[in-house]
Amino acid sequence: MAINAVGRDIPSHIEGYGDTTNRLFAGAFARIPEGNRDGGKIRAHGPKENGKLLSGIREAIAASGLKSGMTVSFHHHLRNGDYVVGQVIDACAEMGIRDLTLFPTALFGVHKAIIPHIKSGVIRRIMGSVNGPIGQLVSEGGMEVPVVLRSHGGRPRAVVSGDVHIDVAFIAAPTADRAGNISGREGKSACGAIGYAFTDAQYADCVVAITDNLQPYPIAPISIPGIYVDYVVQVESIGDPAGIVSGTTRVTRDPLRLLIAKYASKLIEASPYFMDGISFQTGAGGIPLAVTAYMKEAMMRHDIRASFGLGGITGYFVELLREGLVEKLMDVQSFDLDAVKSIATDPRHIEISADWYANPWNCGAAVNSLDVVILGATEVDTDFNANVNTEADGALLHGTGGHQDTAAGAKLTIIAQPLLRGRIPCVTDRVHSVTTPGEVVDAIVTEFGVTINPRRQDLIDACKEAKGKDAVPLVPIDELYARARKMSGPMEPVAQGDRIIGVIEWRDGTVIDVVRQLA
Amino acid sequence: MNEPATTHVAQAGTLESMDCLVSITGAGARAIEISGSSAARFKGAIEKKIGEVLDTLSAKPVKVTVQDNGAIDVVLGARVEAAYRRFERGPSA
Repeated sequence: MAINAVGRDIPSHIEGYGDTTNRLFAGAFARIPEGNRDGGKIRAHGPKENGKLLSGIREAIAASGLKSGMTVSFHHHLRNGDYVVGQVIDACAEMGIRDLTLFPTALFGVHKAIIPHIKSGVIRRIMGSVNGPIGQLVSEGGMEVPVVLRSHGGRPRAVVSGDVHIDVAFIAAPTADRAGNISGREGKSACGAIGYAFTDAQYADCVVAITDNLQPYPIAPISIPGIYVDYVVQVESIGDPAGIVSGTTRVTRDPLRLLIAKYASKLIEASPYFMDGISFQTGAGGIPLAVTAYMKEAMMRHDIRASFGLGGITGYFVELLREGLVEKLMDVQSFDLDAVKSIATDPRHIEISADWYANPWNCGAAVNSLDVVILGATEVDTDFNANVNTEADGALLHGTGGHQDTAAGAKLTIIAQPLLRGRIPCVTDRVHSVTTPGEVVDAIVTEFGVTINPRRQDLIDACKEAKGKDAVPLVPIDELYARARKMSGPMEPVAQGDRIIGVIEWRDGTVIDVVRQLA
Repeated sequence: MNEPATTHVAQAGTLESMDCLVSITGAGARAIEISGSSAARFKGAIEKKIGEVLDTLSAKPVKVTVQDNGAIDVVLGARVEAAYRRFERGPSA
């Protein structure tokens, strides 16, 4: 055992994960890479080998050379409508392939269909977020090997650096041609950006595109060029449109959440970053969207324009782009129909890969240029450490997403959250698991006001200077914690065993925390 | 013969967020059953509060079932008290 930089006891060896001695979290920017990038197998498809089109998923699996024990990757832009993971794993099971490492960018509720394949040993390990039913299964000890959680930037870092080698990448392709050129912009299963799939296409030994919209060669525009793609398979359907994109993303009408959003907006306005050229990421949650709405008003009032909006893009951001309040959008994942339409038609709406978005080990990810990010969390503690992975009962139910990356990159990282969810306090003395360290979290905003990390005295001073209707109500962290505890009463510890069922990596590949099996 | 009041169920509360639904029925000894989102981390606190309210009311032995949706102590206490008073009034109330 050794204590890492956020005070967590990490065993020197984790069964099914490996040695952690040189992999202890040592600080948000402590680990420096060495050596060269890893890479996939060199392939040569000559002019006489034009046969990328195969008749089905089984044929593609056979052609890819996929064998038991290998690693298969998937991207999650089809979200809760995805049919591709299920179809591929079903086919693997029928073909007798076992002990696979599943390396998705994320899993959703729809993927509970693969639970029988976990139980029967077709899937032996999962490296990726485990939302919902699979998370519950893992938390209760349903897998022998711990799940490895990586951020949106940590995942491409792991691939590029060789921590994870992808044998076969299966790419859900809303549009493709016979040469394997891929786009997410059109087709009945259109999902907009397919940024999470880029790194897999570039670094896997074999890449299979699975499409339900095969178009004449060449398609345009092209997101992933066919030079990375070995095989193309046409299927009836890659997903359910209703689960792929939501209709219209709505701003919350809950007065409590609107108040929190208002306080967050006041903090941003009081900060030194609220000026022409500001950039921000707000995601799709209720409170962050409401912050965007308040920021829009403030930007119009002060005649300020933002340089770019980043991350998962919603119709709300698209509206800001159309109205000229935001100059560009950098989109790794388009959340709703408006965002899908916008990325397909507006050149100012730029598709970026997960590597480009958030990888700490490249020549500068987009998050590094971010001024402000609004995030949520299951809980934060008095050291400003944030937990987004485990629920109050200790179950591992959520992926890391871009939480670590944007927090590390942005100049102002805000966690906006009601003080209690039900009786469960969102501010505690010690989070159950650490996803993001307090050293990169600048402020917590609740219905009681703005709580600034004491290491950001500059922000505290800036807030104190804001007077009158711009005044920012400041609440010290100890007072906030005491208030939460008074309302909720003391919490009992999580009932857990010793066995480690999840490893939470910091974006640089070090272990920031572990998750143990529920008792 | 027991009095009929021991066989009926009295309720108070809702399943709205930050509320709870409390059901009380007659029993040979005091019994408490808790389910819901807060149970994992607040079982002890919820049991303690229910006990306190019942003691304050000098309650006879009852079974209390709480379907909790995140009620804090003051809400829980009010719901238990209301449910118990309804229970005492009997089934016709």
